[in-house]
Amino acid sequence: MSSDGKINLDVLSRQVSYSGEGISVKTLEADIHQERTVQDNKVGELKTLRERNVEIQTAMADELKKLRKFSDYLNGTATKDGFWAGFKEILSYIPGLRSLSLSQRSIEELLKQQYQVSARRVKEAAEYADVLKKSELDLYKELDRINEKIVEMAKNEQVALDYVLELRQLQEELKQAELAAESGSVEVRDIQAQQDKVYAKLAEHSTNVQLYGSAEERYASLKENTRKLLETIRNLAQDIQQYTTAASIKLDMASAQIQAIGRAADASVVMLEMKRSLDVMTESMNVTTQFVSDTQIFFRTNLDTLIQELDTFDDTTTKVLDENLARSREIEEQRIQAAIAKAMSKGGDAPAPAPAQ
Amino acid sequence: MSLVALHTQELGPADAGRYLDMLARSLRAARLNNSFPDRRRVDGTIAALQRAFDHKIYDQLYLDARTGLPNMASFTRVVTDQQMAEGALSRLDDRQELERRRQEAAVFERMADKHDYLTWLKSQELAPVDLHRVLLRRHDPGSGTASFRIELTKLDGSGLYMHLTIELTQVASVWRKRVVDLDQDGESAAASQAFHTLIYRCAALDAETLFIRLHGIEGVTVERVQRGVIGPVLFRLPGEDGQLHTTLEVEGVLGHAWQTWLAGPGAHARGPELLATFASDSAAGDIREEKSNDPLSPLLSAVIEERERARYRQMRERYPFRVFKDRKFVATRGLHGLVKAIGDAAGTRNIVYDLR
Repeated sequence: MSSDGKINLDVLSRQVSYSGEGISVKTLEADIHQERTVQDNKVGELKTLRERNVEIQTAMADELKKLRKFSDYLNGTATKDGFWAGFKEILSYIPGLRSLSLSQRSIEELLKQQYQVSARRVKEAAEYADVLKKSELDLYKELDRINEKIVEMAKNEQVALDYVLELRQLQEELKQAELAAESGSVEVRDIQAQQDKVYAKLAEHSTNVQLYGSAEERYASLKENTRKLLETIRNLAQDIQQYTTAASIKLDMASAQIQAIGRAADASVVMLEMKRSLDVMTESMNVTTQFVSDTQIFFRTNLDTLIQELDTFDDTTTKVLDENLARSREIEEQRIQAAIAKAMSKGGDAPAPAPAQ
Repeated sequence: MSLVALHTQELGPADAGRYLDMLARSLRAARLNNSFPDRRRVDGTIAALQRAFDHKIYDQLYLDARTGLPNMASFTRVVTDQQMAEGALSRLDDRQELERRRQEAAVFERMADKHDYLTWLKSQELAPVDLHRVLLRRHDPGSGTASFRIELTKLDGSGLYMHLTIELTQVASVWRKRVVDLDQDGESAAASQAFHTLIYRCAALDAETLFIRLHGIEGVTVERVQRGVIGPVLFRLPGEDGQLHTTLEVEGVLGHAWQTWLAGPGAHARGPELLATFASDSAAGDIREEKSNDPLSPLLSAVIEERERARYRQMRERYPFRVFKDRKFVATRGLHGLVKAIGDAAGTRNIVYDLR
C-alpha cells in the first residue's frame, strides 16, 4: 500500500521477465524429451560400443594369448608337458594348420600372419578409445547445458515465487480495502475487479512456479543420469586405453621374438623332414641289405639242390628232344619213300627204290 | 642407448624423423634395380612412418638392432593402419567438424591428425612384410613345358629386407608332382603349397645353395636364382636429447669393422653418419665369370672345407651355372674409410655412392 493509503496496483501491470523462451507443459516436455533423446543416443552408442568392445577384447585376448604362448616358448617357460606336446599345442592355435601336415606351411610365415591379425585387433580396440573419449566430451558439454537449464529454471522459479508473493500481498490489501469500503459501492466493484485480475495473475504465475520447479527437478534428475553415463564411458575409455596400450607395447616388443621362434620352428621342421628322409633311406637300405643277405644265404644253402634240379631238368629235356628228333626223322623217311615210289610207277624203267631202313 | 627387446632398439620421434630421412635418401642414392625389393614401396613405408611421427600417431620407431632397418613391428604398423584406414575414416567425424573442435580438447586434435594420416595413407603403396608372386613367362601346352618367374619379397628373420627371383622351367607329367600349377586357361599360375613353403624357408640361403636345392626337384630346370638384399644399415645419430644412437648388434666382419670405426674415427664424428649396404647375389647359366665382389660374402668355393671340396666339385659339375655376388654401398663422407677398409681386406672393388 502506498504512503497515501491507496493500494499500489503497479504490480498487476508489471511485465514479469523470465529468462529463456518461456515455459508451458508442452515446451517443458519437448525440452526434456530432447535432452532424453541425447541421453538415449549416448546410451545406445555406449551399448554398441560395449558389445563391439567385448567382441574385440575377447578376440584380442585370444590372439594375444596365442602370441604369449609363442613367446613363453622362447623364454623356455612352457615346457611342462615336454617340448613336442607344447609345440603341437602352439601349432593348433594357427588357423588351418591343424588340418595340414607339419611340413606344408612355413611356421615363420604363419606366425607373421598371426602377428598382423593381432596388430589389427589392437588397433581396432584402440580406435574405440578415441571414439569413447569424444563421446565423453560430448556428454560434458551436455552436462554444462543441463546445468545452465537447471540454474535458469531455478531463477525463473524464484522470479515466479517472488511475483506470486507480491500478488498475494496485493490480494490481502484488496481484501482489507473491500472490507473497509461501503458494500455495493463503485469502490467495492472496482476492488473486486482488481481482485479478479490478481487471481488470474496468481493462477498464471503459480503454474509457472510449479512448471519451473518441476523442470528444475527433472533437469537435475537428467543431469544425474548424464553424469553416471559420462562416468561409465570415461571408465570404459580408460580401461580400453590401458589395455590396448599394454597390448600394443607387448606386440611391439614381441615382433623379433615372433620371427625368431618362427625361424626356429621352421628349422625344427626342416630337421624333422631331414630325419624322416634319413629314416626312410635307412629303412630302404636295411630292407635291401636284408634281401641281399637273405638271398645270398638261400643260395648258399640251396645251391646243390638248385643245381641238381637244373641237371634233372636238362636230362628230361634232352630225352624229350631225342625222342622228338627220332620220330621226326621217321616221318620224313616215310614221306621220301612215298615220293620215290610214285615216281617209279610213272617212269617204268627207273631203278627200283632201295628198301626202307 | 640400449636394446628394448630381443634384437630391438628404438628411436624417439625427432630422431626417428632424421633417421628415416637419411634412410630414404640412401635408398634413392643406391639406384636399385628390380632384383631388389621394390624401392618405391620401401619409400612408401618410410614416408608413411615419417607421416605417422609428424601426426603423433606413434611415439617410437623400432629398429632391428642387427641390421639397423625398421623391424617387423614398424613394417606391420603402417600396413595394418592402411588395411584399417577405410573403416576407421568412416567412423571418424567429418574432417571440418574435427578441425572446428580442434581447440576444444586434445582428442579432437588427435582425431583430426589421424584423419589426415589415414586419408593420405590409404592411397600409398607400402612395402609388404611378405609378398609371393608367380609369373608365367612361357607356356607350351604341346610339350607340357612352362617357364615361370617366382618372386618373393620378405622381411627375413635375420632382419634384412630381401627380394628373391627364381626363373625355372617345369615339364609337366601326369605322374609327377608339379611345383607350379597353371589355371585352366593357362594364363595364371600359383606355386604349390610345398614349393611355396620350400622357397619361403630357404629364402635366407645364398643363390648358389638355393639353385642346387631347387634344381634337384624332379621335372624342374632352374635357369636363374637372384637375390637382392637391403641392409645392414649402420648409423651413428647424435640424438636430440644428447644421447648417441648407433646400430647396436651388427654381426660378422661388418660388425667388427663397425665397432672399430665407432671406437676410432667415429668417436670424433660430429654430425649424423650412415652406411647402407645393398647386396646382390645371382646363380645362372649365362653368368660369364664366377666371382664374388661382395666383401662380406665370399663364394662358397672359397670357404668350403677341404674334405668337402671333392663332393662340392662333383655337385657343381652336375649343374651348369656360375655365381656372381656384389655389394654396393651408400655412405656419408665419414664412413667412406670403413667401406675402403672392408674392400681392401677382401680384395674387392665396390661402388660407393656418397650420401650428402
